[in-house]
Amino acid sequence: MKIVTANRLSDGRVIYAGVGSQPVEGIDQASVLDETTAEIVLAEVAGRPDIFVNPYLVEVQGHVPSGRDRLKERIRSAGPTVGHSVAGGVG
Amino acid sequence: MYRYDEFDHALVRERVEEFSDQVARRASGALTEDEFKPLRLMNGVYLQLHAYMLRVAIPYGTVNSRQMRQLAHIARAYDKGYGHFTTRTNIQYNWPALTDLPAILSDLADVEMHAIQTSGNCIRNTTTDVFAGAADDEIEDPRPWCEIIRQWSTIHPEFSFLPRKFKIAVIGAEKDRAAIRTHDVGLQIVKGEDGGTAFRVFVGGGQGRLPHIGQEIASAVPAADLLAYLTAILRAWNLLGRRDNIHKARIKILVASVGLEAFREEVDKHYATLRHEDLRIPEKEAERIKAYFAPPPFEDLPKASAPFDRALLADPDFARFARNNVRRHRKAGYASVVVSLKPLGGVPGDITADQMDAVADLAERYAFDELRAAYEQNLVLPHVKLDDVPTLWRALREAGLATANADLATDVIACPGLDYCSLANARSIPVAQALSKRLADMDYQERLGPVRINMSGCINACGHHHVGHIGVLGVDRKGEEYYQITVGGSPDEQAALGDIVGKSLPADEVAPAIQRTLDRYLEIRAEGERFIDTVRRVGPDPFRDAIYETLDAANA
Repeated sequence: MKIVTANRLSDGRVIYAGVGSQPVEGIDQASVLDETTAEIVLAEVAGRPDIFVNPYLVEVQGHVPSGRDRLKERIRSAGPTVGHSVAGGVG
Repeated sequence: MYRYDEFDHALVRERVEEFSDQVARRASGALTEDEFKPLRLMNGVYLQLHAYMLRVAIPYGTVNSRQMRQLAHIARAYDKGYGHFTTRTNIQYNWPALTDLPAILSDLADVEMHAIQTSGNCIRNTTTDVFAGAADDEIEDPRPWCEIIRQWSTIHPEFSFLPRKFKIAVIGAEKDRAAIRTHDVGLQIVKGEDGGTAFRVFVGGGQGRLPHIGQEIASAVPAADLLAYLTAILRAWNLLGRRDNIHKARIKILVASVGLEAFREEVDKHYATLRHEDLRIPEKEAERIKAYFAPPPFEDLPKASAPFDRALLADPDFARFARNNVRRHRKAGYASVVVSLKPLGGVPGDITADQMDAVADLAERYAFDELRAAYEQNLVLPHVKLDDVPTLWRALREAGLATANADLATDVIACPGLDYCSLANARSIPVAQALSKRLADMDYQERLGPVRINMSGCINACGHHHVGHIGVLGVDRKGEEYYQITVGGSPDEQAALGDIVGKSLPADEVAPAIQRTLDRYLEIRAEGERFIDTVRRVGPDPFRDAIYETLDAANA
């Protein structure tokens, strides 16, 4: 199964195509699609470059990335694994 | 330090205006991403895994307190409250919104800063010895020459669309503290035959997929001809370099493929004409630039400092800091102080906005308002009175900036890796953190002495792993992170590429393997030998054995 992801134009944040191909921030809100539907949704969001930058498909099991780039996609979905360097140490 | 004249101000402001318009057109959809990408890259803007990333230039690593406070303000107002110092002595912000970029660049312009030429196929930020103007072994301060190169290379029409990026580093001492032989061009100030300033020139160094150590192409180019000679090198490469294959486009590939002699002939052909044209640097102009870098008003002080010596005796923690982070200075009674951005288990090179403010205050109070960014991803207060070092240390400690590990095993150089970077194959930061925690014992680190450990999350080598005494390269094996270890690399005047010791290791094996390597060094070192000296004497084999011994045992 596949989900559609991209970066959001305005701030570069990771987004996914959710219900009705609307942009959503959480990977758990992404629509999980079969191959054919995923291609259709990909084409659809590619036609909305005001929101979706560089859209592509991610292989998933449930809502968890499972393909070759699974680590990269998990990091994209959850943020840096090392947290943020904020006051008081790495948070 | 250098101050903008009216031309610099106008150029930077015009660029802010131009890029603001480009951002507005991108945000409105008038520009596609493909159209916008080359424009944003000219202004240091990348689109990374989680967000846009802005790389701000710190020319030859020098900033004043006002600029540092502005960097803190940007981190707070437009980012998540921190920034990341890079191996090109720039600072990166990981989380700015596209629509905030014009405001950020305008804020930077207010303090004579910008993001021009921090990415793209152009001449990048020129780097230098972090102790320039302070080191006691310097023939001449390299910073004025860096500034001259900056002015010449900024938006240079001939060199704005090069085959690939181009990096220059300049040093003013025999000791190479700027890794010049890993650069496209490395410049070392020497005395010419007439006793005047000249440049020993290395060409064709570089890391990445196909690493090369730079070769000496000229032994003493007269200072007045520096820009003519650099132009000749760039022109030769620009004309002959490959543009059909991104991996073979750097000058190192050209020099290696045609050979140094043939490349020198090409350069000399251009140089013969260029040196008689307008590129000669007028002595008066060189002097005018040098005046910006005149030494600060040092006091005449005795060599020894009673407050410093008292603190050494009174506080073992201060004594450790003094041993590891305080460097000799050309002026009696002064020292340079390394501010480590490698706290135990921290992210190498990261600094919070509050820390930026703190270090800015300290630079203003104790270091003639000057701060340096080191390519090792640390900061340096170049000119501090020895009398003030104990007080400074206490203030640094309060700000979480007094880790006494400069040049020791936990002073790890690491790129952002797969936690941030869209090019990376594996994470660098967690591996560096695991190593930092494992080697945390400062007594152990001091027993080891200076060791440079470098980590890169991909073959592009932003973490300089090829020239680490111990290098770690993240690779992807069927979706799993593995790490290839090299031993024996060196970034200095004895520059060398490390030897790959064997098959790559899973992430959790890296820190233990490195510790075994360091333990083996402690067992076999001769009196007075640093880690790298021992590697040079005995070769990589004993270290290879140490790295794989438990793995071999497990597989036996």
